[in-house]
Amino acid sequence: MYRINDRQIDYILNDISARGVGMEGLQLNLLDHICCIIEQELEENGDFEQFYRAVIPRFYKDRLSEIEEETHLLLTNKNYYVMKKVMIYSGTFSAAALSSGIFFKYMHWPGASIQIVLGIGIASLLFLPLLVALKVKEQQKAKDKLLIVLGSLSAIMLALAILFKIQHWPGANIMGVTSPAILALVFLPIYFFGGIRNPETKVNTIVSSVLIILGVGLFFTLTITPAGIKVESTKNTISFLRSEQLLENEGQQLVKYAKNENVVKAELEPGDQVYQACESLKSEMLQYATGAKKINEDFEVKGTLIGNANARDFLINDDGAAAKLRVLSGAVFHYNSTAVPKHNLKPIPVKWTVVDPKQENIQERVVSALNDIIQIQMLVLQNNREILSAGQKGLVSVQ
Amino acid sequence: MIYSSELIKGTLKTIVLKLLEDNNRMYGYEITQKVKELTFDKIQITEGALYPTLHVLEEDGLVTTELEYNGKRVRKYYTLSPEGKSKTKEKVSELADFMNTMKFLLDIKTQSA
Repeated sequence: MYRINDRQIDYILNDISARGVGMEGLQLNLLDHICCIIEQELEENGDFEQFYRAVIPRFYKDRLSEIEEETHLLLTNKNYYVMKKVMIYSGTFSAAALSSGIFFKYMHWPGASIQIVLGIGIASLLFLPLLVALKVKEQQKAKDKLLIVLGSLSAIMLALAILFKIQHWPGANIMGVTSPAILALVFLPIYFFGGIRNPETKVNTIVSSVLIILGVGLFFTLTITPAGIKVESTKNTISFLRSEQLLENEGQQLVKYAKNENVVKAELEPGDQVYQACESLKSEMLQYATGAKKINEDFEVKGTLIGNANARDFLINDDGAAAKLRVLSGAVFHYNSTAVPKHNLKPIPVKWTVVDPKQENIQERVVSALNDIIQIQMLVLQNNREILSAGQKGLVSVQ
Repeated sequence: MIYSSELIKGTLKTIVLKLLEDNNRMYGYEITQKVKELTFDKIQITEGALYPTLHVLEEDGLVTTELEYNGKRVRKYYTLSPEGKSKTKEKVSELADFMNTMKFLLDIKTQSA
């Protein structure tokens, strides 16, 4: 029996790795196997190198690295089936969740949004990436692989943009614009010029390209442009300033009445509290929406435009705003339960305004929420004038 | 007659699992020799097929491995895991069933001496 020495072991190991077997486990397997063969089959004083060269071709058809390739193939094929299964289940689940979520939404049943979020989330983060991974594997050419990645990337981004939009998460708009842009400016040229050269795919390529352009075009038709947003914000801001003007005029009217000595300040107190709470919440919201606590006619110069920031999320989630909203709600409740019955006034309507106890009824847009607040202030001022004019006629008792 | 590698490929996992069940602990070279011995050289497992299969069995958790060092040489011993034991029974009975079906399908008459 031949005995192998350490030098020969190193020789075999070096040769195995030079022949392209890199996995350590496989190297050790082969080394031991070759040593066994040599020790079993080579005579005690045989020629090691010559015998080794004769033995090694037993391990392969064309080259030794086949063993490693076969191992990789078997291992990835196993993942392949798992991936395929997960893809099918996640795809089915997300399609079902999204459809059911939309149905719930139309029926106005609770639980719609969680289903929609799960449906879009799983589709874009699990189903589509798995689909890409599997489809890329099937394609031979690098260009086809790139097209699949680009196409899916823009689909994933578009789905996420819509998800982010409905959840009011930041980054929705930029994703919403980037994804069709990738499709039209990167995917389309590669696809079009690749497919048009081949007579077999020519017609299909033209039709699909036209469909892509139409799809992207329709999407951008629906999208509000930056200039459009500016016009919209300017309109919002001017409308807000107009309301503030009305409020100011009403306040000045009241000052004339306030000279009446017959009415003590205490009668106007509940209303004033509501008014002050409104002012405080208003400046908090303006700060959030425009960066300035107060805005004037020069808003265009200063760039303090009221855009379409989300008021409801801010009023619920921002600690400062939520505290100020609680103060306002308390003041309105106090006003409606004391001053209103005492002076026979109409109560301040609560439902569907910022002070609605049902938080989901709060206005979504800042401009509407600000409008609510100003309307509450107007009502208070008008009621105060009512109280003052009644006092003038001697209807309010002087204590 | 030596069987074609296509025929052996589909049954290699089963062969390896069954050998490990009968012999408890084996290393690669030992497996190839054992198969040769048991089949009177009719089945010769190639190293190119054996080691990738052992790797997958290990990855699937059907076998566990132990390394034994002897100077610079390392020998990897394979043993069935509990999961591998039940898989072996499943694979062997599946193959037996398959062979019966093939017999019927190809209308093979058992040779009588």
